[in-house]
Order: sequence, then structure tokens, then C-alpha cells
Amino acid sequence: MSLWRQFTRGLRVLGNRKAADQETADEVSHYLEEATAALIARGLPPDEASRAARLELGGTTAVREQVRGYGWENRVDILLADLRYAARSLAGNPGFTGVSVLTLALGIGASTAIFSVVDAVLLRALPYPNPGKIVRVWEQAPDGHRMNLADPNFDDFRTRSDTFADLAIYADWLSSVSGGSEPVRVNIAEVSSGFFEALGVDPVRGRGFAAEEQRLHGAPAAIVSYGYWQRYLGGATDLSRFHLRLEAAVYPVIGVMPEGFDFPAGVAAWIPREFDPILSRTAHNWRCLGRVRDGVTVAQARANLSAIARRIRNQYGKKVDLSDAAVVPLADTLVGDVRTALLTLLAAVGLLLLVACANVAGLLLARTSARRKELAVRAALGAGRGRLIQQFLAESFWLSLAGGTLGILIAAWAVRLLPAILPANLPRQEGVAVNTPVLLFALAAIVAVAVSLGLFAAWRAATADLQEALMAGSRSYSGTGASQRLRGFLTIGEIATTLVILAGAGLLGRSFLRLISTSPGFNPQNLITMEFSLPAPQWHMEESTTVRQIHLVDDILTRLRAIPGAGTVGFAGAFPVAAGDDLADGTFLILNGQRPPATGDEFERMAQNPSQAGHASYCLAGEAYFRTMGIPLVRGRMFGEQDDRNSPHVAVISESLARQRWPQQDPIGQVIEFGNMDGNLKPLTIVGIAGDVRARGLDFPPSPIIYVDYRQRGLNANASPTILMRSAGPAGEIVTAARGIFHDLAPDVPVKFSTFADEMGGWLADRRFLLLLVGLFAAAALGLAAVGIYGVVAFSVTRRTQEIGIRMALGAQRSAVLRLIVGEGARLAALGVAVGIAASFAITRLLSSLLFGVSATDPITFAGVAVLLCLVALLASYIPARRAMRLDPSAALRYE
Amino acid sequence: MDEPNTDLIQGTLDMLILKALSLEPMHGFGIARRIEQVSRGVFKVNPGSLLTAFQRLERVGWLDSEWRQTDKSRRAKFYSLTRSGRKQLEVETTNWNRRASAIARLLKAEG
Repeated sequence: MSLWRQFTRGLRVLGNRKAADQETADEVSHYLEEATAALIARGLPPDEASRAARLELGGTTAVREQVRGYGWENRVDILLADLRYAARSLAGNPGFTGVSVLTLALGIGASTAIFSVVDAVLLRALPYPNPGKIVRVWEQAPDGHRMNLADPNFDDFRTRSDTFADLAIYADWLSSVSGGSEPVRVNIAEVSSGFFEALGVDPVRGRGFAAEEQRLHGAPAAIVSYGYWQRYLGGATDLSRFHLRLEAAVYPVIGVMPEGFDFPAGVAAWIPREFDPILSRTAHNWRCLGRVRDGVTVAQARANLSAIARRIRNQYGKKVDLSDAAVVPLADTLVGDVRTALLTLLAAVGLLLLVACANVAGLLLARTSARRKELAVRAALGAGRGRLIQQFLAESFWLSLAGGTLGILIAAWAVRLLPAILPANLPRQEGVAVNTPVLLFALAAIVAVAVSLGLFAAWRAATADLQEALMAGSRSYSGTGASQRLRGFLTIGEIATTLVILAGAGLLGRSFLRLISTSPGFNPQNLITMEFSLPAPQWHMEESTTVRQIHLVDDILTRLRAIPGAGTVGFAGAFPVAAGDDLADGTFLILNGQRPPATGDEFERMAQNPSQAGHASYCLAGEAYFRTMGIPLVRGRMFGEQDDRNSPHVAVISESLARQRWPQQDPIGQVIEFGNMDGNLKPLTIVGIAGDVRARGLDFPPSPIIYVDYRQRGLNANASPTILMRSAGPAGEIVTAARGIFHDLAPDVPVKFSTFADEMGGWLADRRFLLLLVGLFAAAALGLAAVGIYGVVAFSVTRRTQEIGIRMALGAQRSAVLRLIVGEGARLAALGVAVGIAASFAITRLLSSLLFGVSATDPITFAGVAVLLCLVALLASYIPARRAMRLDPSAALRYE
Repeated sequence: MDEPNTDLIQGTLDMLILKALSLEPMHGFGIARRIEQVSRGVFKVNPGSLLTAFQRLERVGWLDSEWRQTDKSRRAKFYSLTRSGRKQLEVETTNWNRRASAIARLLKAEG
């Protein structure tokens, strides 16, 4: 009640200060009149009475001020006055103000822009109800390796656990889908019951899957994404007329998911798929997703599934490879290894902001020194310490507000540019925007900067000796030794911080150079890729279908080779360089004269013996593939004309597999069994060894690969056929011609054309992005540090003008003066670099996971950035040193 | 004004203002004069403190103010007690009496 009164009355006064003042003045003068009248009534003559009354009152102005000084609004008044004064004082010094505001704008703008990415990718909640409850589940092997779920294990997890509200499996793959306005190759997900419930999202149109669709071999049905519905179904309200054809089956469209629902990422349609009890406990085919029951923690859910996993292990022993279960919040799994990169960026930009603040602090310090006299006068006139601090806070408030506002504009502009440079594989980047949390972050940065700078300046001003400052007289311009020392410390800190950012950028840069000079094992130049999928790939195909498919591929290859400008054209069963892991991998058997297994069960039993098992990726290819890709044959022979469907099947293996599996022996001539990959149990004889290929990315070690000939094995369910063409000709014309050939020979086969360079560009995109930004921040920090060093040295030259004059008058050479001044900058740089290297040794370790082929304390990088920083420091101090060198001694001596 | 030192005891000014106003609304000088007269000149009120005290008491809600014509047909700011001001006066009076009598007893015992 009374607080409210305080507030409203104060506001009324603030709103009309003049009227309030007038009221006080009226009251005081009325008081005076009454007092005078009273004295007259006691018999004093009027003029004496008036004098006595005035005397008693003690001056109307003083009383008015006393009354006026009451109340919180008075504080506000003083604050506003200080703000006005600060604004005027800053406007009177546009050089200082401009440099400070721009510096802070750079720091705050860059931090805000990076924070907007961190916020969207790492911090923002997933767009599902109660997203903290959604988890991913894995089987975990004894060595801690996480595996997808096998059907029977999943069934045990689901039926025996009591900590999950929903538990579902799903998988997605690229498939040809027709039934919309045109056939397309899109991602399709098979999902079990509970999938949409776990995510907590219902179709926005139509219905979800019904019970008769959610059972093994149930009624077919498909739910499509909003994007697919809009683009290929024309956004039609009546879904009943649409039937999707995929994998030779027909699925009526029953529902549309809401806009923005994108799980698994990039999926255009979801179809039901249920638990199949005949599948093995080691066929880890399914990803698993769950929603933890209310009141149950993720840790409890994990303990629950771990116990079930152990029971499965105890029951089935060596027949299963799980021994534990992993349960991780979905948000964490989506972000994955991006977290380190983003946190690195945030740290780099935070350091940049720190350098910016140190720079402005240095400027403030110089300004405080220059204003010592003004401050001393104010203090002598009775300004309390609080009032002085408020004055400094007001100034730094304006600086950081102006810098911050400009910074937010910079950030808004940067966020618009970001999509062009953000790596395509960065998850959730579509949410990057300058929104409320980002603005709050900017605001927090502004306040933090304002308070720290203001308190810093006030602290410096408060420690100055008042009397000394007043007596300093006309030499008020020069700073004290103490403040110059402090500026030196600031600059050292700035240089050290800059060195940390530079070292980080240098390490990332060297990693990047290492990577791009790493040979992928093939020649990626001038390669056009054509990914397609043939209809009806099935596990067990009719012989006639297989032969027809092989002929179709051969026909396409023949026609493609005839295109003018086409070089070699090869075929592979998978896109050879995969962003994810397109190549299937699995266990193979070394037969050594044993009878090949007749059944899958026998295969699995034989695979238990480690001496006759190995692990490799499976790649379907033709002989021309190796020539097209430029993969060399190291030893033995390639697939040849003699290898047809009836002759013994042959395999070519990669060098790394030969090294790993047959270190002492000759792998050529070994007979292996890899039928678990394609359902064909015919054994393979190794006939050749090919060069290694880094198929999963330049920063991954080359995978061991077994190549088999598509003419012998046929295309199978695991294949996602790709044709590669090397051509120096114009890609556009060749693609047009190729499109025509596909249209002639296989009109219902959708093809995705691309170039190898494009596909590989994606590999390095995230590294390029990180390097680009950290490099930019490092450059900005270097620039700021240079300005900082220049400021200190230039100020020192001004301060030491007289001294320099005396030295020169006494016969000092100009070069000695130059050395004197440059030496000052060099000393700062040397100290800063020393501190910076020590700090970097500790900090760059955190980058280890982002480095490739370079240690976190790489001496070359550290030496390089140290030298760079020292050169910049020398250059920055050379400019003022040259001015000192050219001083006229007689003018310098008289300089005050 | 040749009286010995008669500064107001810290904190009593508020109570004296409330007491002076308990009979009728008054303007600033009226209150000052009332306090002086009733205390037979023992207490002299500093006008600056008095006017500031009005601000404070008004904010706390114990006083109301109003510009009115005086009997000499001049405009003056008249203060009056609010209901909570009246209550406060009672509280302070009780407190004061308790303390004053305690001190009186102490002094007597000493004497």
C-alpha cells in the first residue's frame, strides 16, 4: 500500500518536475510569509521581521533543495542528469566514442550471432511435447559399442520394461516413390506402433495407423510428410484417392504429418512395420526410440533396460552380442559431435569479446587519466564516490548500449548470411534466428560489459589521489605511471587472449590442410554420379529378374559410354563415398577348403570361431568402376570377361583388409563366404587387391572392403545402384543426354545426378565453416590487439615526449629512440605471447577431437602464431616510434 | 531563543507533527508554531526538516495534503491526518509514554 503510494507519488513528481518544484517553492514562501507575519504580530517592524524569518528559515533555496532531495525519484533525477552529462561528454569526444562503440559492436555482434546458432542447435527444446522424456535406445556390446536393435531383443525391451510410456523401432532408407505427381527418390521410414506416440505428434490431416495396419503383414498404409503432401499430392484434402507405390507394393495414403515434423530427418513418408519373431537376435536393423513414463528419470529407464539386456545375455549367451543397453535423451543424440565445434566457436567468440572489452578498458583508462583534473574538481566540490562511480557507469552504459545495439544489427545481418555458410549437415539449423532468447543474451552481454567497464574505470578514478591530481596543474594530460602500467597489463592480457584464438585457428587450419592433402584413394575430379534404384529389389529374386537387371545396367552403361565427351563409365552397388554409411558391412567366413554353410544358422555358428571370421564392408562393383574412380589394382587381377554367373565367384579386396586379416599370408586365392550380405551363399575366391579408399570421409581411416562383381552376384536388396562417369566435358550437357538414356531404357526409374566434387564438398563443409569463423575471430582479435598495442605505445610516446627531447638533446641517435619505443611494444608482446602460449597449452587440448593429423600442442602452429603476433606488435609500435624518432628536440623539451 | 540546547530528540518530530495535526488540519508554519507554543518554546522546529518530514509522512500514508485558502485568503498547503496516521499516533504515543516513564523511574532510583 505505502510502497504503491511511494511509487505513484514519485512518478507524479518525475512526470512533472516543474509543477512539483513550484509546489515546494510555494509552500516555502508561504511558510516564510507566515513566519514574517507572526514576528510582525509580536511587534517587530516589517523589514526586521522579514530578515529574522529568513534567518530562522536558513535560506529558501536551501530548504527547497532539502525538500526536493527527498524520495526515490530524486535518485532517478540524478541518474538522468548523469546520463545526460555522460552522453554530452562522449559526444564531445567522437574519436574515443566511435572506436569504443565499434569495438564493442564487433564483440557483441559476433557473440550474439554465434549464440543464435548455439541456441537453435544446442539449447532450444525439440519441437515435441515434453521433449526431455524422449530418448534413443541402443543395445550395447561388452566393449561399450552401441548397436541398433534386433527384433527379438526389442520385443523383450518393450514387453518386459515398465519405465517407458512408448517404445518403438524405426528405420529409414532412400526409395523410389511413385503415386504422386511424379516418381521421386525420397527417404521412407518404417515405424513400429508407438513411434508417433513416443514423439507425441499426431497427423494434422487424416488419421494415424490403425490396429489392423500395425501388425505383422497387416494392411498397408502410409502417412506422408507435409512437404511431400504439398509438393506431390497438391495439398489435396481428399487423401483417399492417393496410393503410393514403393518397393513394388501399394500403400494408401491415410494421413499427413504437421508442417515442421521431420523425424527421422528428411523422411517423406512413414509406413508401419511390426516385430518379426523369426529374425535373429544379432540382426541389428532397427533404431529405437522411446518416451519415458512420467515420474521416471532417464537413468532409471536405462537401469531398467540394462537389467533386461543382462537377462537376455544370460539366457542366450554367445548367441547374442549385447550385454547392456544405452538410453540417451533424443536431443543429445541429434546434436552429437556438433556440440564440440559449436562450443569451440562460442569460446572463440567469447575470447574475442574479452579482447574487445580489454581494448575499450584501455581506452577508458587513457581517458580517465586525461580527465583526472576534472574528476578531482568534482570530488573537491563534494561529489561522493558513489556519485563518481555512477558517472562512470553512465558512460560505459552508453558505450555498451550503443555498441550492443549496433552489435544486434550486425548479428541480425550475420544471421541472414549464415545459411550460406552453415554446413549442410548441421542439425536444426533452420531454427537459427534473432529471437527473444538471443536478444536476452545480447542484453545480458551489454549489461555485463557496461557494469564491468564502468566499475573498472571508477575503480581507477577512485584510487587516484585527489590532491596530487589537483596540483598536477597543466600537466593533467599525462597519465600516471600506475595507470600506464595497468594499460600494459591489459594489453598483455589482450595479446595472450588473441594468441589463444590464433592458436586454435592455426590448429584447425593445419588440420584442414592435412585433410585436403590426404588422398582419398581415388581421383574425385570430373566425376558425374547417377544414383538410381531399380524396382522390386528383393532378398530372394528370380534368376530371370536378376539377369534382366544386369542386362539393364549393362545396356545403360553401353549407351552412356557412347555419349560424346564421356570417358570411362563404371557401376557400383552403392554410392562409393558416403556421407553416412551407405556401404553395408558385416562378418565374412574364411572357408579354407571347408564346405560353405548351407543355411544362415550354420553361417552364424561358423562365424563364432574368430580364426575363420573377418569383418568388412561389402561393395558391389564392375571392373570399369575401378578404372573410373582411379582406384589402382595393387596385386592379382581385376574382374574379367571370364567371370560370369556360372563360373566361380570372385572378389577383390582392399589393401587395408589384406593387411588386417592376412598380415602374414597371401590373401589371393583365399576362399571366403560373404553371402550374409546379399543372400547368395556361393563362396568367393579372392583374385586381386585394390588400393584403399577413404569411403566415409577423409578424416576416417580407410574401411576394409570386399568388392564383388555385380555380373556374378546381381543387384540385391542392399544395393543402391550408382553409375559414375568420368568426363572432362560440360556436366550439364552430359547429364541431359544421360537423363534421356535413362528415360528410354528405364522410364520409371528416378535418377539423382550430381558431381563428385559436390558430394565431397559436403565432407569438409563443417570443418571449413568452423575454420572460417574461428579464423575470422582470430583476425578480428589480432586487429584489436594491434590497436591496443598501438594505443599504449602512442600514449607512452606522448607521455615521454619531454624525456625523448632530453635524450635527443643529449645526443641520442634517432635509431636509439626508435629502439626505445619499439622495445616497449616488444616487451608487451613478448610477455603476452608467453602467457598466451601457456594458456593455449591448457586450452587447445579441448580441441583434440576436432583436429586431424596435428597434435593439440603442435609446436609449428604455436611458433607460427607467436611470430605472427610479435610481428603485428612490432608493426603497431613502429608507427608511434617513428613519430617519436622525428620529434624536434627543441619543441619536445618545451612540450608540456 | 536564548534557551539552552533544545534540538528535537531524534525520531520525535514525526510524532509531534502527528500530534499537532490530531485536532485539525494545519499548514506548515501552523504546525511549527503549534509545536513551539505547546512545548513553551522548548522545541524549535527546523523548517527544512519539517517540510521534508511532511513529504515522508505523506508518502508513508499518514498525512494527506490539500491546497486551501487560509483565513487571510492566501493559498496554503494544509495537512491532515489519515486514518492510518491516527493509528500511528496512538502507537507512538503509547511507546513514548512507556519509554518516558521507564526513564523517569530510572532517574528517580538513581537520585
